[in-house]
Order: sequence, then C-alpha cells, then structure tokens
Amino acid sequence: MAENRKQRAIPISTKTTQPFWDGIEAGKLMLQYDPDENVYQFYPRAGSVKTGRRNLVWREASGVGTIYSFTETYVPIAGFEERTPYLLAMVELEEGVRILANLINVSAATISVGMPVKVAFETITDEQDYFCFEPA
Amino acid sequence: MASNFLAGQDVGIVAYGETKIERRSGRTPYEFAAETFEEILTKAGLQPGDIDGFATNVTHSESSNQYYTPYLCDYLGVTPRWMDISDHGGGSALAGVSRAALAIQAGMCELAVVLCADAPSTSWKAANGGYRVEFWDPTGIQGPPGGFGLLMNRYMTQYDLKPEALGKLAVAQREGAVLNENAYEKFRKPITVDDYLESRVISTPVRLLDCVMFADGAAGVLLTSRERAKKLSAQNVIFPSAYSEIVNFDCAEQIPDITETGFSVVGPEVLEKAGMSPGDVRMFHPYDDFLIAELMQIEQTGWCARGEGSDFLLETDVSFRGTLPINTGGGQISAGQIGLASGMTNLVEAVRQMRGEAGERQVKDPANALVTGIGVITYGRSWKVSNAMTLEH
Repeated sequence: MAENRKQRAIPISTKTTQPFWDGIEAGKLMLQYDPDENVYQFYPRAGSVKTGRRNLVWREASGVGTIYSFTETYVPIAGFEERTPYLLAMVELEEGVRILANLINVSAATISVGMPVKVAFETITDEQDYFCFEPA
Repeated sequence: MASNFLAGQDVGIVAYGETKIERRSGRTPYEFAAETFEEILTKAGLQPGDIDGFATNVTHSESSNQYYTPYLCDYLGVTPRWMDISDHGGGSALAGVSRAALAIQAGMCELAVVLCADAPSTSWKAANGGYRVEFWDPTGIQGPPGGFGLLMNRYMTQYDLKPEALGKLAVAQREGAVLNENAYEKFRKPITVDDYLESRVISTPVRLLDCVMFADGAAGVLLTSRERAKKLSAQNVIFPSAYSEIVNFDCAEQIPDITETGFSVVGPEVLEKAGMSPGDVRMFHPYDDFLIAELMQIEQTGWCARGEGSDFLLETDVSFRGTLPINTGGGQISAGQIGLASGMTNLVEAVRQMRGEAGERQVKDPANALVTGIGVITYGRSWKVSNAMTLEH
C-alpha cells in the first residue's frame, strides 16, 4: 500500500531499460535512437513507436535542454516530505524528446518555461542514482 | 470519419440508478453495485434473471481480482450472454454504453446493464506498471494533480487563462451539488469564486478546488432495443445518437503541443456524426477530474477558439438556469469522484435531466446532451482516453 511506503520509489529496470540505468550509474543520459526515422524516443521501449521495429540503438544524449513546463508540489509523495515544496519539470532535450524530472539548485521564483537546463544526478539509495536537471 | 452505428437510434436507455456518493464508506463496489442494480430493476420492473448483458469498469478498489466482472454478476444474480469490462478509466462508462449498444445491435443480448461502481476511498488495490515504475513514481509526481499542474502551466504559457473563469465554473457546479441529494454530503454547501482562488495549492498552478476528491459509489443504466423498450412500456427513453473515442492521441510524437488533446478529434467528430453544431447542444456534461480539463474540452469541441475558453466561461451562464448548463449535478468535482466508475456520474445526470427528473436543478430545455469521458493521465502530455457521446430523445 502506498501509504505504508515512506521511501522514494526506486526504479526497477527491465532488460530493455537496463542500458539507460547503466548510463545513469556512469553519469550519462542515454536515449534510444530510431535509425529508420532519424528520431530519438523517450521513455525507453522495446520497439520504435514510429515503425514498430526493434532496431533502436542507444546513444548518449547531450543532457541539455529547456523547460517545457513545470509544477511546484506542496503535497508530497512518499520520500519527498523533507524537500517539499519540490519542483518537477517536463524538460525538452535538444535531441527532440521530453523527459519528466525534478529540478534542483533552483527555486520556483527564478525558473520559467524556456529556461536552459542540464542533466544532473542525485542519490536515492547507496545503489541507485536518479536523473534530475539544474540550470545550465 | 467512422460511420455512426448509433445513427438509427435503435438502442435506448430505459432506466438509470445512482447511489449517494460517500467517503470512506467501508462498503465494497459489490455492495454499491447492488444498490444501483436494485434501483434499475425496480424502475424497469425486471428481475436479475432478465438481464442478459452486463458491462462494468476496472476499479481502483477491486483491481487485484482478475475475474471481477464474473464475480460481480454472480453477486447480483446475473447470467450474462454478453459481458464486458472497460479499462478506459473515466471513459469506461461511455465505452461500456457504446459497446452494450453494439452487442444489442448484434443480437448478443437484449437487456444490457452498464453498471459502474468503485470505492477507492475505502480500498485501494491499484498497482500500475509500465513506465510508472521507472520514470514516473521515482520523480515524486503528485499523481493527477502533478500531471495537471504540468498541463495547466503549459496552457498558461501558451494562452491567457483567467482563474476567475475556472472559479465561476466551480461555483456553478457547486450550486448543482447543493441541490443534488446524491452528492457527497460535505460538498453540499455553496462556495464563492474567492473560495476557489484562495484554496490551497496542491501542485502549482492546481488548487484544491481545481481537483476531484476520491469517493465511493455506483451508478448505471439499462439499455435495450427500441422494440424491446416498447414491450417493457418504457417511458421517456433516451437514445445515444453518436459516439467517438480516441486513445493515446498523437502518442508517437515526441514533442507535441500537449495542450491539444483527443477532444480535438472526438469533440467535433461526435457532433458531426449527430448532425449538430456546438450551438445546438442544450447541456454539456464533460468529464471533470480537473476544471482545466473542462475548459480545454469546451475549446476543442468547438464552442470557442483555442485559448478563448476563459472568456467563453465568463460570458456564458453555465448553471442549470443558463444557456449552456454544465455538469448540473455538481459533476465529479462537487459531487465526488467515484473512482473509475466516475464517468457514469456525468452520464446519469444527463439522462436524469433529459427525463425531466432533476428537481430543483432541472434545466428548461433538456432536448439533448453531450457527455464525455477522460481516462488516465499519461507520460508527458494530457490524458490517454478521450470519448464523447450525444444523447437525444
């Protein structure tokens, strides 16, 4: 039950998504690239949403983008109590995908849609890092 | 455009039922369903054994039961020859009615009950997988208010959103809930625009009074063919006259305009199928998990241009007395959201109004209605399911 969980949710990888999490552990943001359509896609899937073909390749992303939208949350989800209120953004990466992530090292008063950001990493547990973004 | 299987108006709603909406009722969806089923059977003069078609919704409260619909039918004494369950989320009620109409047309059943029940404020057994496990839950996103915070902020980036317009809509719906005996009792007191504007922020820019609150309850309808309705001596039959749905609008696009939703497709399409323009619609019963969702549906269905929803709301009387009554029973926002059964709240109010049975909140000219459904917040955009149905006499 959600109300019994006091910790932030820890991602559970699959065979398909493991390269993404290996990248996070190495401090890299990895994206799936569709060679037929010459587009990236996110979130990671077994096949291309354009062609249905399972010929996606992993490429390291630049990690830079802009804020497409953001929200500041005052009623926390488990594990976020101590950082409330906290910022969450849809970041549009220069590779042409959007990614949902927390914003750090910035306050709601100083951010705006369109602001440049770059990927950063934070620790959830000793074994698990997670991606986030900060001002570029 | 797909053909309109409801154009002949050969399947109608002959009875409806609805429980009072409660919070932390301690009751199961089976128990709520039984209450609504009794009301429908009593109104139609039928026994459980007469019902040969049955559809319901996937629930939050009983979702770990992979055999929920057979269990529910067994509980009610129903032996269906056609059975269905919808996981269209808040679109499940309209999805169920559309499929029940098809089943009746196809001869699979004659008397179909679409009975939506859920009790998420008593029991929560949902566990969504997919991207949520890796890319949603660990971000701390505050569920639907977080998703709608992102969507509403983007809308405000592109367009002029006037908070007092949403406040006016909230006040109008609350007035309906005050007059609706089935609304959650604590919501049956009036609010003001200032109450809306001053309600606490959940996830910017979403305020408490932008949101629904989970509750327990059930509602449902009985459908049958026009011929069988005559044999039942059913009075005041309400006919679904057009239906459209779209799931995962634009989902292969990686950087779409997220303020454009599936309603940009199904809104205009369902009216075209019914031979109506927005100005012909006498009542609008839009799915209302968040006020901004209603405003976006108003724009994308075609009552006004994109970005002009605030002015439309400020210029239009949307109360039950008005020129475009919206969610006259309070909608879900002011009557309570009965989990994934909630789309039936909007539909049953439309049927009740069209039958002239809405008491003190009765609209003057309930000649037709447009009812909609929305299902499940989706990754990085708006929602997955958009569906819409017109009702006529």
